[in-house]
Amino acid sequence: MIVSNTTSAERGIRSSALTRSTEPATDTVRAARKGRARTSPLGLVMLAPALALLVAFFFAPVVLTTIFSFTNMTSATGISGGAYVITPNLLRDLEWQGMAPEAAQSLSGETISVDEAALERAAAAGVDPDFLEEIEDELLGDEFDDARSFERELKTLPSRPRRVRDLKLAAEPFSQSILNTRFATRDEAATAIASIAPDLSAEDRNTVLSAAYTGWVWTTDNFERLATTPETARLITNTALYVGFTLSLFNVGLGLFLAIAIFYMPKTSGTIFSVLWLLPRITPVVLYTVMWKWFTWDDGFLPVVAENLGLPAFNYMKGSVPTAWATIVSLNGFIGASFGMILFSGALRAIPQQQLWASEVDGASRWQQVRRIILPQLRWPILFVTCYQSLSLLSSYEQIWLTTNGGPGNTTNVWALEAFRVALSNYTGNLQYGYGAAMALVLVVAGLALSIIFLRLFRFNELVEKPKIEF
Amino acid sequence: MPIQLQDFTKRFDNTTVIERMNLEVHDGEMLALLGPSGCGKSTTLLAISGIHRVNGGQILFGEEDVSEQPSQKRNVGVVFQNYALYPHMTAYQNIAFPLEVRGMGREQIDKEVRAIAALVHIEQYLERRPGQLSGGQQQRVALARALVRKPGVLLLDEPLANLDAKLRLEMRSEIRRIQQETGITAILVTHDQVEAMSMCDRIAIMNEGQIIQIDTPTEMYRNPKTQFVAGFLGNPPIAFVNGRASGEAIRLDADEVTLPLPTGARRPKDGEPIVVGIRPEIFGVNGGSPIGGRVSFVETQGRENLYDVALPSGAVLRSIQPVRHDISVGDQVTWGVNPDALMVFSQDGTRL
Repeated sequence: MIVSNTTSAERGIRSSALTRSTEPATDTVRAARKGRARTSPLGLVMLAPALALLVAFFFAPVVLTTIFSFTNMTSATGISGGAYVITPNLLRDLEWQGMAPEAAQSLSGETISVDEAALERAAAAGVDPDFLEEIEDELLGDEFDDARSFERELKTLPSRPRRVRDLKLAAEPFSQSILNTRFATRDEAATAIASIAPDLSAEDRNTVLSAAYTGWVWTTDNFERLATTPETARLITNTALYVGFTLSLFNVGLGLFLAIAIFYMPKTSGTIFSVLWLLPRITPVVLYTVMWKWFTWDDGFLPVVAENLGLPAFNYMKGSVPTAWATIVSLNGFIGASFGMILFSGALRAIPQQQLWASEVDGASRWQQVRRIILPQLRWPILFVTCYQSLSLLSSYEQIWLTTNGGPGNTTNVWALEAFRVALSNYTGNLQYGYGAAMALVLVVAGLALSIIFLRLFRFNELVEKPKIEF
Repeated sequence: MPIQLQDFTKRFDNTTVIERMNLEVHDGEMLALLGPSGCGKSTTLLAISGIHRVNGGQILFGEEDVSEQPSQKRNVGVVFQNYALYPHMTAYQNIAFPLEVRGMGREQIDKEVRAIAALVHIEQYLERRPGQLSGGQQQRVALARALVRKPGVLLLDEPLANLDAKLRLEMRSEIRRIQQETGITAILVTHDQVEAMSMCDRIAIMNEGQIIQIDTPTEMYRNPKTQFVAGFLGNPPIAFVNGRASGEAIRLDADEVTLPLPTGARRPKDGEPIVVGIRPEIFGVNGGSPIGGRVSFVETQGRENLYDVALPSGAVLRSIQPVRHDISVGDQVTWGVNPDALMVFSQDGTRL
């Protein structure tokens, strides 16, 4: 409250007003503080939707991926719990893995006992009730070691079926084996094993039980498998080549070239030119890839042109490794180039015109102007495009999937496509969620590591500093 | 190097900004292109530097016609209004840039850069980037960059517009000193008459794409060719009063005041409407033809006071006088005008 040119009387009034107003002033401050405290929960409420979205769409997928990657989930195990089933195949596998043949033999044996449960099973299977009554009367509580001795006993009964086949059918419900039987819990399965094979060692029993579980379990096998499969090295090489070539040649290289070309063009033609380069980006991806198929397939545009020129003509998309690579890199590159072009164009327009004039007056040729004045000032957008596009390329597979699908052979397969196939689109039908999640997790970690490296490399902190130059 | 513009014409699309302009700048001279915004002075400068192409006429550097040469070949140094320093380079690299692009050796560059840095007094700031320099220092770097390859012509486009008042005063004399030490032909574009008058050997006043008058600052102040020039130069500005010629005298409109015609002026016809220009310093206590009026405003300037005197008709004259305490707003005064220093203009603005 600075007032000039006031008379002393006025000043007196004002100063007394000032002293009087000190108390209300502090009150106001206090009220303001209280007010701020009151509004802070409101701020959280306002932030809540964003936080919820963040959690739902950013953190949850990563957390779930991490969880899945430490399981052996497949479509065979399902994602809920499983049961215990011992199958002949399982026993054969265990034998291969070194279990004693006698142990396997004992597990695959059967017991025949005549009890209430067996009689019920037989009735349900449609065995003649008179016959069953006789069995109950004569044999209830008996046990037999094999089917032959049981059948011998049955043949002594008066109401027995005439045909041997019917007799065997009637005997079947009394025979019990743990093979192919579903046990809901480990204990049930253990009891059953103990009753059928009492001589089985505890160690063997545990091995069998673990192997017999049909649900998913926690495991680090996925990562071991990734680390040891020779396919991993090829996928990494392919992904690095794909990202490297697309990024350097197209997303940054072509983007820069286009932006600079447009910058030096007259305005109208520049606008038309830049809109043309946006077309691959705005075309739906399926349509776009179909067009590339027409473009590169046996009777497509390029092979036809090549044939007329006397050049080798074949299905460029899938016919050879170099052309397949050229196809997927340029196909992706043309989509990504427009992003860099727009970003670089904006950054170019932000360079003051007089700076460019100054460089011309200083004697710089156009190339020197680009090289010495323009490019150094595009460092930040180049970093941004590199960082952003390498991350999006790392995780993109749909264009490759829709065109070469990793072929010919597996030569253009990349990490993200393999993860997608393993987890979600397996030809044999057994989708390996756990293994796929492990591959995806590797991708996430690689992306994070790359981001950190990029930010360090381009000295991000310096770049986002407040500019000190006044224009 | 002398510069000559012959019938220079510049159009943007279909708008003619400058039509057949002629201008001659002598060797080693510093000339101001002075005029209000939009008068075409910057356009002229950019055409001389080669950034704008000419649409007609010729630009001569010495004997050589450079009209069709690109700016890279003209060997001109330009200082832009915002200095246009390259923000990603240090001051040293900025100054070295013109030498590097022509492929000069590293040692030679170093020698030249340090020499020019000494001339503009920025030796201690060479390793800083433009962002770390003050406005005045940036200005000096821009000057050094413009001068380092010894151009034939130095062009300054409103070089002081972005500086605060104190720095402006300092850089005014600095630029003049550097220009005189290097002996370079320089053109200064400005809309500030004080800059033009204090820094330059000659001033070319421009309006609407035309040069109205070229003269030394003193001569232009004393003998403006038109009412526009008289009104543009002088601070506080000249006062204009309408009147009519009446024999050897001038009758001011609606006021019972008669002034004698200044000697040397062309005699207007009787009854012809004319405009009388009275500068503040020729209206005051030192005799001459008396004019009476009421003091309507007093502006304190420290050493002097500026008095606005309202004539009965409502026209306002200005008088600048050493500070005095006997006059205050509302006082009736009768002060004299030095009739020989009066300027008389015809209705269309030309000096009589």
